[in-house]
Amino acid sequence: MRLRSRNPRMQTIVDITHLDFAYGPQLVLNHVDLAVARGSTLGLIGPNGGGKTTLIKLLLGLARATRGTIDIDGMSPRDAVRRGDVVGYLPQNPRVTSNFPISVRQLARLGLVGKAGLLRRAAREDLVFVEELLERVGIREIADDPVGALSGGQLQRALFARALAARPRLLLLDEPTTGIDRSGQQRFIEFLAALKRDLNLTVIFVSHDLRAVTAIADRIACLNVTLHYHDVPERMPAELVYRMFSCDLQAMGIGGKAHEGCATSHVTAPT
Amino acid sequence: MDAQLTTTLVAACALACACAVLSIFVVLRRWAFIGEGIGHSGLGGAGTAWVLALLFPALDSPGVTYAFVVLFCLLTALGIGAVARSRRVNADAAIGIFLVASLAWGFLAQQVYFQARHTNPYDFNTYLFGQVRGFGTEFALASVALSAAVLLVVGVLWPQIVAYCFDPLTAQTSGARAALVHYLLMLLLGLVIVIGVRVAGSVLVTALLVLPGTTALALARRMRGVVACAVAVALVGAVGGLLVNAKWSFLPVGPSIVLILFAQFLIAQAIGAARDAAAAPAR
Repeated sequence: MRLRSRNPRMQTIVDITHLDFAYGPQLVLNHVDLAVARGSTLGLIGPNGGGKTTLIKLLLGLARATRGTIDIDGMSPRDAVRRGDVVGYLPQNPRVTSNFPISVRQLARLGLVGKAGLLRRAAREDLVFVEELLERVGIREIADDPVGALSGGQLQRALFARALAARPRLLLLDEPTTGIDRSGQQRFIEFLAALKRDLNLTVIFVSHDLRAVTAIADRIACLNVTLHYHDVPERMPAELVYRMFSCDLQAMGIGGKAHEGCATSHVTAPT
Repeated sequence: MDAQLTTTLVAACALACACAVLSIFVVLRRWAFIGEGIGHSGLGGAGTAWVLALLFPALDSPGVTYAFVVLFCLLTALGIGAVARSRRVNADAAIGIFLVASLAWGFLAQQVYFQARHTNPYDFNTYLFGQVRGFGTEFALASVALSAAVLLVVGVLWPQIVAYCFDPLTAQTSGARAALVHYLLMLLLGLVIVIGVRVAGSVLVTALLVLPGTTALALARRMRGVVACAVAVALVGAVGGLLVNAKWSFLPVGPSIVLILFAQFLIAQAIGAARDAAAAPAR
């Protein structure tokens, strides 16, 4: 069954059609059809091994589909990434060498390397934008500090600035709230919503945190090899989530029936 | 200062500058082991030339041997580069296997040659520990040209190289030419090792690609400072090693250079430890 938006006039920025992907004999993605509207926020959820990270890799051109097509704003994933200003990416658990001799500002500017090209330096207007980003993410005052001196939260904000430095149209976030406490998650969600609005971003983010997903996502896609659901969070069937995650939505403050053993807490959507 | 020493000094200083800059990336990317693999492949190349010289005496010349060293180093550099990017084979294991195989083949070939000719290959010790004598003006000019090329390429591609060394994955997903930078760095490593083998020998050449960068990263906090420091450390090592050999000719150049570099490394560690202790909050 193809799950697509019911709105025929929706302008899509990501169009995935009949996508299959396998690692050798193991099928990881099976007949996935997914369209992401420009300017929307899609939360991609699913159990471990369900293909979420693989889908992100395919969107980044790091792997090729076994069958089917992926279109990002009229380009293949590789072409979109090669341009440098179409796709931004914040990986889960980014590998950072603590003694790497660059400052926070220089780290953020690394996001401009692809856009500038092989033999050119970053444009002045892009450098000015990076300064604005550092201000927006709240690390302008430590911009000259070495990256090795940053806390985990500060580093994540610096890496976030790097992902946005080239003003991408599509932002891919892989588990962006992992390892962050509840108040930090709330700040991140509010901060992401504001940036998304100001930069007219389309966001796809992978998360196990259903609270964070439902707080910010316009649409949710449940992926477990196949796409089981793709619609607004409010219509998400509780029994589907329980089947996938063995956990209850209402117990998490989202909906459905309470179930013993599930932790309860609350994350508010940004106003 | 005689003309020979001047020629050698020019070649060694040019090589030191190129190695110093590349050593920063070798250390940051943790490629010291890759450097070992490339360096020791030179002995494997020389061993191949020595065995071929037994079959085809016309090939028994320093020029042919060096050509095989160059070929093996470059092929190994690109091959290790491909292995390092591949996920099918554990890179460390593959490099380790190739490294010991090259060394074993080089020593075996030396013994085969010795058994047949009752003398070591003409330049066996040279390939192990480097040499000073026999550096012609052409070699010095080639060293300067190669080092200038290395510095030019690194200078032009500096933002891409830094992005790649910080995190290859996000460099690639930001649109940087990560694969190109990767193989280019491997090729540059292969080329400087080819020159470095003549100065420091295959056993010690990778020290030139590790110690300057490690020392500089312990002292400087920004890339510009790291580059300047690494070049200074490498020049002190190269010039010092040559002067030691010029004064006491029985002391080989390669080990002399490496020990001077090592001494600077120890000093840098002491300075770094003292700086950390001074910066620590009082209890």
